[in-house]
Amino acid sequence: MDLPAGTRNHNYAEDMSIFRTKTHWFLLIVLLVVLFTAPLWFGNYWLSVANLIGITIISVTGLNILTGYCGQLSIGHAGFMAVGAYTSVVLTTRFNLPFLAGLICGGIMAGIVGMIFGIPSLRVKGFYLAISTIAAQAIIIWVIRGWTDVTGGYAGLEAGPASIGNLILKSQTAEFFLILTITIIAIFAAKNLVRTRVGRAFVAIRDNDLAAEVMGINLFRYKLTAFFIGCFFAGVAGALLAHTNRLASPEYFAFTNSVLYIGMMIIGGLGTTIGPIFGVIFFQLLNVLVTKLSPALQSAFPHLPGGFTSGIAPTLFGLAIILFLIFEPRGLAHRWQLFKSSYRLWPFSY
Amino acid sequence: MKTKKLLLFMSVTLAVILLATPFLMSCGPKVADTTKVLKIGMMTPSTGPVPEKGIPGQHGIQDAMEYINNELGGAGGYKIEVSWRDSAYDPAKVATIVQDFMNEGDILFTTHSSSEMKMAQGKANEAGFPGLATFISTMNLHPAQHIYGPTPDYGDDFVALIKYYMENIWEGTGKPKVALHLLSGSVGAGTLDGANAMAEELGIEIVATEYHAITTTSEIESLTRIKALNPDVLLISGVPASTAIIIENAKTLEMYPGTTIMCASASFTKSLVDIVTAQSGADAIEGVYGVFHTVSWEDDAPGIAKAREYCQKNHPEDYGNMDYLSTWATCLVIREILATAVKNAGYEVLAQGGAAAWKAVEEQGIQKVKGYDVEGLQGGTITYTAGDNRLDNYLRIYRVTNGKIVALGEWEPAPLIKYPQYGDE
Repeated sequence: MDLPAGTRNHNYAEDMSIFRTKTHWFLLIVLLVVLFTAPLWFGNYWLSVANLIGITIISVTGLNILTGYCGQLSIGHAGFMAVGAYTSVVLTTRFNLPFLAGLICGGIMAGIVGMIFGIPSLRVKGFYLAISTIAAQAIIIWVIRGWTDVTGGYAGLEAGPASIGNLILKSQTAEFFLILTITIIAIFAAKNLVRTRVGRAFVAIRDNDLAAEVMGINLFRYKLTAFFIGCFFAGVAGALLAHTNRLASPEYFAFTNSVLYIGMMIIGGLGTTIGPIFGVIFFQLLNVLVTKLSPALQSAFPHLPGGFTSGIAPTLFGLAIILFLIFEPRGLAHRWQLFKSSYRLWPFSY
Repeated sequence: MKTKKLLLFMSVTLAVILLATPFLMSCGPKVADTTKVLKIGMMTPSTGPVPEKGIPGQHGIQDAMEYINNELGGAGGYKIEVSWRDSAYDPAKVATIVQDFMNEGDILFTTHSSSEMKMAQGKANEAGFPGLATFISTMNLHPAQHIYGPTPDYGDDFVALIKYYMENIWEGTGKPKVALHLLSGSVGAGTLDGANAMAEELGIEIVATEYHAITTTSEIESLTRIKALNPDVLLISGVPASTAIIIENAKTLEMYPGTTIMCASASFTKSLVDIVTAQSGADAIEGVYGVFHTVSWEDDAPGIAKAREYCQKNHPEDYGNMDYLSTWATCLVIREILATAVKNAGYEVLAQGGAAAWKAVEEQGIQKVKGYDVEGLQGGTITYTAGDNRLDNYLRIYRVTNGKIVALGEWEPAPLIKYPQYGDE
């Protein structure tokens, strides 16, 4: 970890700590205070946006472990979210399992399904693996649509609100606290995972799988582990999405979402813990901005073709991906890193 | 170093200001709101996969509200203020938009597609926030909660089309063979619900059920399977663009003429005629049947003159479009609902927004409207019947004749169908 000038690590614990200095702790506490008091000044609309951001961060963090750290490209992540969503909704509504049990089972089931579709990763990689994960997306959604007795088919399944014990989390505020807590846990889990033996094995596989194998890393085991963990995160995110929207429907888990998650990861920065956070916030806020702005633009420029102003959202997002790929392939996370370095060395940041 | 401390100080100050703001804002006298309006939220899928439906729908809302506020004096003496949003047909976006409507004090909301409503209705039903779906599927209304349809649903479309076919076209013996080509999602599912519930009673045989995606570019493969079964009717339930592909492919496979092609209401509009005509020529769509819940632009209904006038003035490209007319009619229904709610519950209750206003709109507005004729734009009159959230239950069959959508015969009633899978008894 980069430290301010004059700060040295004197033992292993200090070397490994995520929050090393008093400033780190202070900023963390300020951030948590701001986040946990957000419902005081956010209206329900912004809380619903924040909830969507949180759920997407969990999912993209999982994808980042799989693709950003382990190098296994997956374009079927929305499909794995669907597995988690349906598992949780079926278990909570038909078998009356508690929400938390449904949530965890949703994650585990998505992880298992992810492992099954990850088996080809031993033999294929890159574009070829991407195609097999697209197949996963198609197969999962096809099964959901066809298995109407269990999944409700096109109509979907009505989901109950999240609950912990007797506490039913129905309001946006309650859902916000739940999603925020799970998002924080997910981010810290991902941050710590990549610093463990398993995480280093992921990075070794990503950088050069042959060299990793020569060093004694069991490729099959670690690749499947990456699929399980990445898809577990997706499953949890899918379950949260279904319970907060009170519906599990195949329409929430479209193929375009899987592609967008890759885009968010690129904009945020592949292979960094903070990258998915930046990428998701950037995309969702852009979406909100255009949604809010388009009626005003439509009124201001009535002679523009219908739908033109609101159509700028996908255009801007596509443009952002292209520009990031050209000018900042390491994403917003790298910009953040440069800013921090500059701040640490200021006023000598040459 | 001093600058670093200064930056930290500024960060702390900013955080304190942010934390204190809501508390400070809650102090002091409230400023009276002098603008007396009735706020509603309306969304259309103006971008995404179905702009050919969403954009005319959006224009219909804009023009109808201009007419209502400027010429009819709003609803109950209060202007209607519309918060319009483009949903882009994106489920996640729909969920935040409906929350936005609730948050900004809207007392009613509408969607322009059954899929949008499917994504919105979970939260809306839970909160008791009343909604109207301009195009509705069976799954939007069953079980009946806080979502209403100003028109019949897609299950009713199926029944109306098949009834017409049996009474006016079918000349064979035994059961006619019907093939369904359904859009994956609530549109197709609604039609299938109608088919499952009523095929036996109507005396038809469903020989094929194929699905297509909203972004489909070719259905040659599925139509080849259907053609092999030699159906008498190909009933398509999709959106204009996807239905156009199927009609063009059916023509390519020489299924048509021969097999009767019938379209459900979500697709049967000018956009469909325009797309097919532009790509395959006018004869490819000539003679195709469809069902719809409003009059056509050629009718002499009392309310059509104003729709024509505003459309030609503001959005001439939409002239003849049924989506435009559909949202225009829905806006008139909304006006009647709000006027009734103002009369029964009082403006002050509605102006507060929130749960009390939603309850008032639903119980003192939607459920109290009786016999409103929508200026003759719809077949029946807007009347609520307990247990049936369709506010109008009349449909009419149309046919594309000389490139125009022309009405055939009178309005047909669409009696309530019982759907056991939704818990109907």
